[in-house]
Amino acid sequence: MKDHYTRKPPGLPNKLLRWYCRNANIEDLEGDLEELFLLNLEHMPARRAKMRYWKDVASLIFSYALKRRREQAAFHVFSSTFFHPAMLKNYFVIATRSLARHKFFAAVNTIGLAVGMSISLLLIAMLSFLWRYDDFHSRQDNIYRIISTKHDGSRNEKFASAPSLLADKLKDEYAGIDQAIRINANLAGEADYEGMRLPLNGYFVDASFLDVFTFPLLKGNARSALTKPNALLITETASKKMFGQGDALGKIISMPPFGDFEITGVLKDHPKNTHFHFEVLASYQTLLSLQREGKWKVENPWKEFRNSYVYLLLQDGIEPERLENFLADVSGETYGSEDDLKVSFRLQALNDITPGEDLYNQIGPSWDYISLSIFACLTLMILLPACFNYANISISRALKRMKEIGLRKVMGGQRNQIFIQFITETVVIAFIALVIAAGMFHFIREQFLMLIVGSDALELNVDVRTASYFVLFALFVGLTSGLVPALYLSKLTPIYALKAKNTARGFTSLNFRKFLVVSQFALSLGFIMGVVVVLNQYRYTVSHDMGFNKENILDVELQQTNPEIFRNEFSRLSSVQKISMSSGVLGTTISGRVMVKTPEKSDSAEVFQMFVDHQFIPNLGIDLVAGENFSPDSRSNQRFVIVNEEFLKAFRITDPRAAAGQTFLLGNSQEVTVIGVVRNFHYMDLSEPVKSFFFRCDPAEFRFANIKVGSANIFSSISEMESTWKTLAPNQRFTARFFEDEIEETYSFYFSMVKICGFLGFLAITISCLGLLGMVVFTVENRVKEIGIRKVMGASEINVIYLLSKHFANLMLVAALIAVPVTWMFFEKVYLRVYFYRINIGFTEPRLSLLFMMFIGLATILSQTMRAAKANPVDSLRSE
Amino acid sequence: MKGYLGEFEELVLLTIASLNEEAYGVAIQQDIEKRAKRTISIGALHSTITRLEEKGFLKSRMGDPTQERGGRRKRIFKITREGKVALNNCKALRDELWSLSKINLSPGK
Repeated sequence: MKDHYTRKPPGLPNKLLRWYCRNANIEDLEGDLEELFLLNLEHMPARRAKMRYWKDVASLIFSYALKRRREQAAFHVFSSTFFHPAMLKNYFVIATRSLARHKFFAAVNTIGLAVGMSISLLLIAMLSFLWRYDDFHSRQDNIYRIISTKHDGSRNEKFASAPSLLADKLKDEYAGIDQAIRINANLAGEADYEGMRLPLNGYFVDASFLDVFTFPLLKGNARSALTKPNALLITETASKKMFGQGDALGKIISMPPFGDFEITGVLKDHPKNTHFHFEVLASYQTLLSLQREGKWKVENPWKEFRNSYVYLLLQDGIEPERLENFLADVSGETYGSEDDLKVSFRLQALNDITPGEDLYNQIGPSWDYISLSIFACLTLMILLPACFNYANISISRALKRMKEIGLRKVMGGQRNQIFIQFITETVVIAFIALVIAAGMFHFIREQFLMLIVGSDALELNVDVRTASYFVLFALFVGLTSGLVPALYLSKLTPIYALKAKNTARGFTSLNFRKFLVVSQFALSLGFIMGVVVVLNQYRYTVSHDMGFNKENILDVELQQTNPEIFRNEFSRLSSVQKISMSSGVLGTTISGRVMVKTPEKSDSAEVFQMFVDHQFIPNLGIDLVAGENFSPDSRSNQRFVIVNEEFLKAFRITDPRAAAGQTFLLGNSQEVTVIGVVRNFHYMDLSEPVKSFFFRCDPAEFRFANIKVGSANIFSSISEMESTWKTLAPNQRFTARFFEDEIEETYSFYFSMVKICGFLGFLAITISCLGLLGMVVFTVENRVKEIGIRKVMGASEINVIYLLSKHFANLMLVAALIAVPVTWMFFEKVYLRVYFYRINIGFTEPRLSLLFMMFIGLATILSQTMRAAKANPVDSLRSE
Repeated sequence: MKGYLGEFEELVLLTIASLNEEAYGVAIQQDIEKRAKRTISIGALHSTITRLEEKGFLKSRMGDPTQERGGRRKRIFKITREGKVALNNCKALRDELWSLSKINLSPGK
């Protein structure tokens, strides 16, 4: 035995030699080596003989003989080039032929890839647009924004805003700053020009704003337009809305509370790819003069800098790092003595703003990295299964193409040539898929834009640049999804391939395929369950007892009408049962919060508030537990509040009856007395728990009239109201909405969620079903003879269907076992955590989604297996 | 006459000639080692053979596969006419020089 073992030369050097020689003929050299080895064995120990063998191999590898043989054996330079035009053309022809021949699989593959790619195109178009944010400013590389971080004990919140005083300080004390621009984003209000009202938003900006940023003026002088107080620039679109075709220059518009503005220029509408968003720009001087007159108060500009921004234009060659050090000094100087609040500053280059860090108080629409990455992950979750599908179906179909590959190899086809051939085929499919995906992209684009916040600042138009990204993407998809099948197919040994014997380790590749199917279905199930959970949560929210009555109540915006006159006029209408006034819409969002203290200032709490009149509580059917409602006489009411039970808890009052008559301090001065207590109700949406809350009464704060309508004929009563409104406020639009609708609208984000989940689920399930379909069809095709024999031997249709479907149904079960707990965890522990009042996920949700998925999956499987089972066995057995 | 014939090349050529039908790699090497008492690596031998082939002094064919050498065929070398001419020229030159030698070349003294 030992003899036999030692008489074989070591394997490694021989392998090394073969690898080194590639395709050169070294049969005789190998023979010589072995013979020498055997000769050596006769007169030296095996170990030395082996050493000698190594030495011989080395001497050959470095010899002139091998060098020549390798040179002679090498192909002509062109023979193995991947991209020889003729070969490429041939690959292309073969690819199209093979696709045309196997139409079904080509279609399954193409549609699968197209579905997977469609949503990726959305992401690409979006990224391609976001990358071009603010790239049109002529001095973009020198523009920086100061961003700040507030350190107040526990939290370190990052803000896009910064104290405006920084701008002055930097300009005075730091050399190398060309311009420091202060921007204040508080300019918002209803502009009035000779009775024409239009809500406008914009910024107060320093005069050199137009120097730093490239926003061209259509009319007016860019140098002087923003120098004087109360100068205003208006965009083309807003100007057309406001003044029609007339010349806007020199017109005076009033915009309370900022006073009158003179229009000194018309701006070209700014492109969408900027992080600014404005319709008007007012001079910063306006704000300063308002401050001087005491109409615009800033308590502590170093501490409170909401909506105030500082942009810098640096001179060439100034290092931002040096400037940041200076900013750190400023921060230390300014906040050094403060204990509770410190603010540090950083510079952010203009190009890093969007997409960029997630900051509070952004100046305009923003896109941060985190939400983009989440979107990218979702995209990958759809795209990857589609690519895997392709690999899966292609590999399982390898059997059909083995003869072709074998023949190619025998005729001299190199491995890399076969590899390229299959890659080409995949790329062709990917490009066909791209065309379909582009069609789908076109269709879902609008939906997507409607769905996402900040779509004002997003365009998804396909220009040359985006289109070229698309093409690159298709190429990438083709290369990645074709990689595995191409490697697999080009590896086949010609002899086995010609015998159509599958040489691949069937076990592992089968496991890989199982894994694919399971993961795809798990993903689909996750999305479906998401839809069911969110829909349930929505139903729960809308039908939740809010603690007040929301039926048949119409909320009318008062706008400029006097509440008393409104009440008098409208109460005459027959359809109106009751009218109350309020400062906001209950159950949606809440307008104000105040700090409330006990008179001794021992206890304090933050309390939500809303201003209502005496009719409000009975009108909405809110339960008064103790005390009394506001009195119809509104004068005295201003000192009274009606609190909720949570309020009592916050101030440790146990008996509601004892609460009446207690006084509290609002802020530091105003004293209010509790006159009543109402049962807890949901004054805000259900994501927040009920906290301390009180009603106050101040007619000046009323914004809405809540009209209880007799339910007879809603439409006629609304038109009745509209005509009454015309007499009160002829210039303003009558805006009335049903309370119920408004509350439901608060939860419309659930629908966005359902839409997103539903759409992704649809994509995922389409892809998984296509994949499943491909596998089932392939299995059925391969087992046609077996089925025929089984049927001849007496198997029933049911038996055959069971036999064929069992395997796939099992895979789906495994998918369910994986997906249900994971999804449950996600929604129970992550998603629904956001909502204070929420459903518990029980058995219904998984069961519903399971049923749905099983139904679709089984339908896919059965559609094929039943056909196979029903086929006449003679047809399959007759021909060999 | 193309190509110069080196000493080792001459040795290899002559050995191949002497081995006749059995002139393949290992046999040549063993023969040279035995007669010339010098160890030569198989790489060096094949390099020389390759050069000789390129000079046209040798040609080769593959022999029949046998059970030994793991069924691998041998490459059998044969001297060409040019090879013979070159060897003859070489020998003629030597003979001429031997006959012209002015001193006695027998190592006895």
